[in-house]
Amino acid sequence: MKHVVVLLLAASIGCGGQKDGALSRHGFIGTELSAPLPLPSQHFTDSRGHPFRFDSATAGKVALVFFGYSHCPDVCPVHLANLAAVLDKMPEEIQRQVTVVFVTIDPQRDSLPVLDAWVHGFDPDFIGLTAAPGDIAAAQREVKLPSTGAVVGAATGEYTIGHLTPVIAYTRDGVGRVEYPFGTRQKDWAHDLPLLVAYGDH
Amino acid sequence: MQWWCSATGRPWTWAWQWYPGVDLLLLLLAAAWWRLARVQRWSDLPWRWFLAAWLILLFTLDWPVGKLGAGYLASVHTLQFLLLTLAVGPCLIRSIPAGGWHALAPDGSRRLRTLLRLARPLPALLIYNSIVITSHFPGVVDNAMLTQAGSFAIDSSWLLAGVMLWWPILAPRKIASLGTFGTIGYIFVATIGPTIPAMMMVFTDWPLYRLYELAPRVFPHFTANDDLKLAGLSMKVIGDLPLWIAAIVVFFRGTTTQGEMVDA
Repeated sequence: MKHVVVLLLAASIGCGGQKDGALSRHGFIGTELSAPLPLPSQHFTDSRGHPFRFDSATAGKVALVFFGYSHCPDVCPVHLANLAAVLDKMPEEIQRQVTVVFVTIDPQRDSLPVLDAWVHGFDPDFIGLTAAPGDIAAAQREVKLPSTGAVVGAATGEYTIGHLTPVIAYTRDGVGRVEYPFGTRQKDWAHDLPLLVAYGDH
Repeated sequence: MQWWCSATGRPWTWAWQWYPGVDLLLLLLAAAWWRLARVQRWSDLPWRWFLAAWLILLFTLDWPVGKLGAGYLASVHTLQFLLLTLAVGPCLIRSIPAGGWHALAPDGSRRLRTLLRLARPLPALLIYNSIVITSHFPGVVDNAMLTQAGSFAIDSSWLLAGVMLWWPILAPRKIASLGTFGTIGYIFVATIGPTIPAMMMVFTDWPLYRLYELAPRVFPHFTANDDLKLAGLSMKVIGDLPLWIAAIVVFFRGTTTQGEMVDA
């Protein structure tokens, strides 16, 4: 019994920390990009039907940009729920300087009402965007994400979309600098968001 | 083929899934009980206790509760813990017929001496609390639940913890000898161990378990944070309830017996 307890304790100590404890050059838990990314330059429409341009709408704010779709069965809702939970606990000055932008890669099913209900179900301040399929694909190319492909479920006829799932963090100067893969935990976001907001202050 | 529920990372579906390992365990348990019980007349058998233990085990370990608890919701994982330790454990002890105890631990045997030792409060509390606290460490949960063997180990340890917790209270008279106030004190101390993981779940800023934080959602807007708080509250509030009821029953039974002795 004693040996079992010691083994279990050792396992718990070894596996409870942040991502191996390794931080990037600027102290982020997320992965700093070797080549900074520009903001998507396409014309989008937000879930309320208003035109949206990244450069003007996110100017002076940290933008967390995520490409996904509302029918996503696993990663997308977890990412958004975790971001909503973390922002809710952050000090107000951090909350005010962070914008979460969700870009649908499934404009066919993510109509404006669907997108609006889904995104605002996580947080009323999150922004949901849609555009013509060609513009969405171009935006993905601009942020170095591969184009996505639908996989139709044999039984249901419903389809899922294979896609990469990083959240790209743009600092307040509008440059994409840090990437957060799926698996990023709330405590990791809580560590990095103040650093993202403060980036470039010195 | 998945024998035992474990975390798969796949999206949740309400489609039924068969876990042969659970059925096998239940069959073996039924066979073991029948072996102990067959020496006695059916009408004298505590079969209702066994049926209760068996059905609660089935509910706890099989689809959907087993699958939800293993890889999706911390609150369901806690429900499993509560059912195994507070319901299955005592029902199993109660289900062993009088004749079965003789077969399990004959007079003067080493097995009887072991059972006697385990019926003392200190070893029972030590084992129970060690299992409860250790099996709720984030590192243990996050790693164990990823494999069927690990998940099985956690479930088995909770079943063992349940039997250990109730053994000093429910074991036959010749084995357990805690008096009224000894039993009440024992129950009070037994509620302390689970308070540690329960408070960690309720008061933590961020989800404790990677597994449940990043698991595909079962209900879209039931967040990992809500799930964890519910788990912690259930563990403390619902978990303490049967123990306090047991303490009250023991108290009134004890005072009634004393009253009868004084009257006599």
